[in-house]
Amino acid sequence: MADGYMGKILRVDLTSSSIKVEETDKEIAKKYIGGKGYATYLLYQYLKEYEKKGISPKDINPLGAENVLIFATGPGTGVVGFPSPGRYHVMALRSPLTNAIGSANSGGKWGPCLKFAGFDAVVVEGASDKPVYLEIVDGKAELKDASQIWGRTTFDTCRILKEKVGGKRTSVACIGPAGENLVLMACIINDEHRAAGRTGLGAVMGAKKLKAIVVSGAKNVEVAKPEEYQEVSKKCLEKIKNNPVTGEGLPTYGTAILVNIINNAGALPFKNWQSGYNPEADKISGETLTKDYLIRKGACWGCTIACGRVTKVAGGAYQVLYSEGPEYESIWALGNTTGVMDMGAVIKANHFCDELGMDPISLGSTIACAMELKEKGYISEEELQGIDLKFGNSAALVEMVWKTAYKAGFGKYLALGSKRLAEIFGAEGLSMSVKSLEMPAYDPRGAKGIGLTYATANRGGCHVTGYTISPEILGIPEKIDPLTTEGKATWVKVFQDFTCVVNSTVNCLFTTFALGAQDYAELLSTVTGWNFTEEELLKIGERIYNLERVIINKFGFDGKDDILPKRLLEEPMPEGAAKGQVVELDKMKEEYYKLRGWVNGKPTEEKLKELGIEL
Amino acid sequence: MKVKIELYATLRDKYGVKGIVVECDGSIKNLIEQASKLLDEDFFDEVYDSRRNFVREDRIFTINGRNIKDIKGEIRLKEGDVVAIFPPIAGG
Repeated sequence: MADGYMGKILRVDLTSSSIKVEETDKEIAKKYIGGKGYATYLLYQYLKEYEKKGISPKDINPLGAENVLIFATGPGTGVVGFPSPGRYHVMALRSPLTNAIGSANSGGKWGPCLKFAGFDAVVVEGASDKPVYLEIVDGKAELKDASQIWGRTTFDTCRILKEKVGGKRTSVACIGPAGENLVLMACIINDEHRAAGRTGLGAVMGAKKLKAIVVSGAKNVEVAKPEEYQEVSKKCLEKIKNNPVTGEGLPTYGTAILVNIINNAGALPFKNWQSGYNPEADKISGETLTKDYLIRKGACWGCTIACGRVTKVAGGAYQVLYSEGPEYESIWALGNTTGVMDMGAVIKANHFCDELGMDPISLGSTIACAMELKEKGYISEEELQGIDLKFGNSAALVEMVWKTAYKAGFGKYLALGSKRLAEIFGAEGLSMSVKSLEMPAYDPRGAKGIGLTYATANRGGCHVTGYTISPEILGIPEKIDPLTTEGKATWVKVFQDFTCVVNSTVNCLFTTFALGAQDYAELLSTVTGWNFTEEELLKIGERIYNLERVIINKFGFDGKDDILPKRLLEEPMPEGAAKGQVVELDKMKEEYYKLRGWVNGKPTEEKLKELGIEL
Repeated sequence: MKVKIELYATLRDKYGVKGIVVECDGSIKNLIEQASKLLDEDFFDEVYDSRRNFVREDRIFTINGRNIKDIKGEIRLKEGDVVAIFPPIAGG
């Protein structure tokens, strides 16, 4: 069927080592599109099954065999001419870091290659008692012994399996030592330097003893209305090319260009969020990265924006002759919030995060938390075993990366994430996280809307799902005042719903600097042959967001968890452009719940009925 | 009065400096006029829209970190103010 889908989903049971092929359900796809949406729907079906069997959602162990991991593409993934179609979405029923839902998105070429191999998604349940990897080649899937690659880094694993399978349309998604060691911020790495980074999905894979999934195939993705699609594709790619952000800013500087502008706005969290302004931020800025470390730009499969960075540190203690990234978030988390101003050290630490398979946002923020705990006397010298873990110590930063991956020395505490770390050492308030997921690189005292996003994101402290930084600081699509709370709830809701659409299509969120929901409606309509309107798409996004919320409600999350750390609510920003500001969360939250049709963070029955969600 | 102008991204590359100190009369237009004399005469059109008599719509222009699009009322600069100018940029 030519409709953007390959028509098949793989269901893998690692406990019984069995693999089943089922058809992609197009009636579900019409309501949930694919990617994140389809995966959320499937996860909810598992939850219902478990409840029927007497297993309470709250008893589901994220590192247990009962957790479910889904790798999903959508009808736009791998389609030639589709704007930035080289992405895939991964979800886990439960995250070991947060105990809420697990969700992450990655680029590179794994997503397209899964479709070339003949499948829309891979559902993994159960757990193997011995390390295995999954090989999906030309429509056939097989579980194979991974004893020879267990223990290897992500770089080695990708290279070994890619060579074994051969071919140009081949890609590997895998875990490194961090995932195998069940580090709670372990991630999934594909194509060596792309990551489904957040919420500890690498640990879920490690607990299942699934080392990697290698995909390869010769199929192409067909569209329903080729001629109309060509027209729409041409129009959208022109918009992307002519837009100053997607056509010039991102390809020239990558995401790192944000360091100076966010710092200028007084919203770049510094030293574990004790301030939002760092007078030396230029040392780790996008301008510095481009001038002193950039080899060339890079791109995910089929992408015309090319925001990727290929970099090197030419000499010195942190020399690395080829690396990719670091992105803005990685620079902030490994650099600014830890006070480390040595760009070489930041690049090296990021390189190790890729190689060992860990989320740099959670890792960097956890290290920064430890630095503040040490500074304030909560952690003793003895515990640190000879590491001088203080703000700005580049050598300590780089060393703690591998120590965390192997749970060595003090690393065993860092491996738990900042929430548990801070609790263990008696200072819970110093973990800068929401629902135990460390918040990313924007202080909401300098941009109030992103504070509402952090508080209400289903996966925890997340910025991408409701990226209000775009209007608040960058002025895209229009400029709104970052320091006020009026109207922020509407922006957050619309962005959250639309981001669900993008993550279900699955293509890159950066296209939305140039494209809107109407463009997506035309793209998806001509690819699938179904007639989506802009309103219908946003309704689908709202449906996905609400179903995801139902799942976390079942895990016990509600209004009391849609909060921010006390520091952001009660400690006025000490300096910078947002000096004196705190986040007036309650006001925004009240308006947000009204817009959402939620009471105490839970969708009402009317809302679920309106969205056609059957509980 | 002396006002500092900081340049970022492509503007930094184009004019070869991270920042300059400019003597001006306190108005934005005059600040940019004076800066053009120091940097290059095309700096004026790079940053200012003569037709609207305001900073270009597609420039991020902040005074002490506050975007001028968020400042209400007449904008007057003070001695020691820091103006930062960015071309259209974004990330994630």
